[in-house]
Amino acid sequence: MANETARDDEMKNVWQSQEGEGLRMSLDEIRLKAEKQGRSIEWRNAREYIAAFAVVVFLGFSFFGTTDVLSRVGFGLVIASMLYIAWHLHRKGSRRRLPSDLGVADCLQFYRGELGRQRDLLQGVWRWYLGPVVPGLAVVMLALTRTNPGHLNHIVWVIAAYGAAIALVFLGVWRLNERAARRLQERIDALDALHG
Amino acid sequence: MDQAAFQTARRPRPDDLYAEAAAAFGAALERLARAYEADPEVRRDLLQEIHIALWRSFAGFDGRCSLRTWVYRVAHNASASHLVRQRRTKAGTLVGLEELASMPDGAEAESAADRRHTLGRLVEMIHRLEPLDRQVMLAYLEGMDAASIAEITGISSRNVATKIHRTKQLLARRFQEGELHGQ
Repeated sequence: MANETARDDEMKNVWQSQEGEGLRMSLDEIRLKAEKQGRSIEWRNAREYIAAFAVVVFLGFSFFGTTDVLSRVGFGLVIASMLYIAWHLHRKGSRRRLPSDLGVADCLQFYRGELGRQRDLLQGVWRWYLGPVVPGLAVVMLALTRTNPGHLNHIVWVIAAYGAAIALVFLGVWRLNERAARRLQERIDALDALHG
Repeated sequence: MDQAAFQTARRPRPDDLYAEAAAAFGAALERLARAYEADPEVRRDLLQEIHIALWRSFAGFDGRCSLRTWVYRVAHNASASHLVRQRRTKAGTLVGLEELASMPDGAEAESAADRRHTLGRLVEMIHRLEPLDRQVMLAYLEGMDAASIAEITGISSRNVATKIHRTKQLLARRFQEGELHGQ
């Protein structure tokens, strides 16, 4: 027992007496860095908007490059879905400033919240990421089958194979995300048990 | 100062609270950052992030808990957020105390150990822990009692007691007394 206490004290001593770099920041430095941090987050958000805008411009060429109404409807729907995905990522994504009330939540609450946010993002992948793209893609494929711009012999089969490949990719993405969300839920359940 | 006294007395300015916290807990915050991040450059950024989060947080400090509890909650929560972000890009799995205790430790047979070596192994072990278990072990190493750990982490006192017991067992298994004294 005495040995155990001596070892515990020694471990605490090893931990507490470690050499540090002695980082000290004046209040002016803190303010300056907080402002810089805010600007950096804004810039990262701006980059996300620019990327979304570039995709929209690219799809816009396809939209204006065709006279077929059905194709235009399809590309229009795909553009709308891209904008929705970008908005959702911005709203729910990870690039955000730490909340200012960090001291109000205990560690369990906070960590549970972080995991819950990730789980919701992964679990809802069909609703906010895959699902919105489907109508636009389906209409574009239907329009391609109808207009057959490449004058292919078996356009229906080509489009069907293309559609099946996309469906497989979507299924894979959905299943991977569902599995990751389940793992997160297991961790959340384990955290909930620590309350009692 | 309790909450009622805090609210009736002249409320300290956030800047003053930050200065007081940085002076009292600056070294502990450095140790905490070390327990969350191995890379010295990234660790420095994390420590700055913790200080900024702390400074910003004091606008909402109402004396409902002690300054120490507040500081550790902010620091641990900011670090846990960092950890969650890092896990997306770094491979490897974090484990709980029970799992870590059952894992073989390759360095266990070494005997020529000094404090630096012991500290290195301790930090390495902490880096493998899940955030909540990591927080309990860190608070324990900082010399906090079970009630304080429960208040900071939000884990029930019964579960904190269990985790402290496992922490002690783990440390006993990994660090022999002779090794600690560098014999």
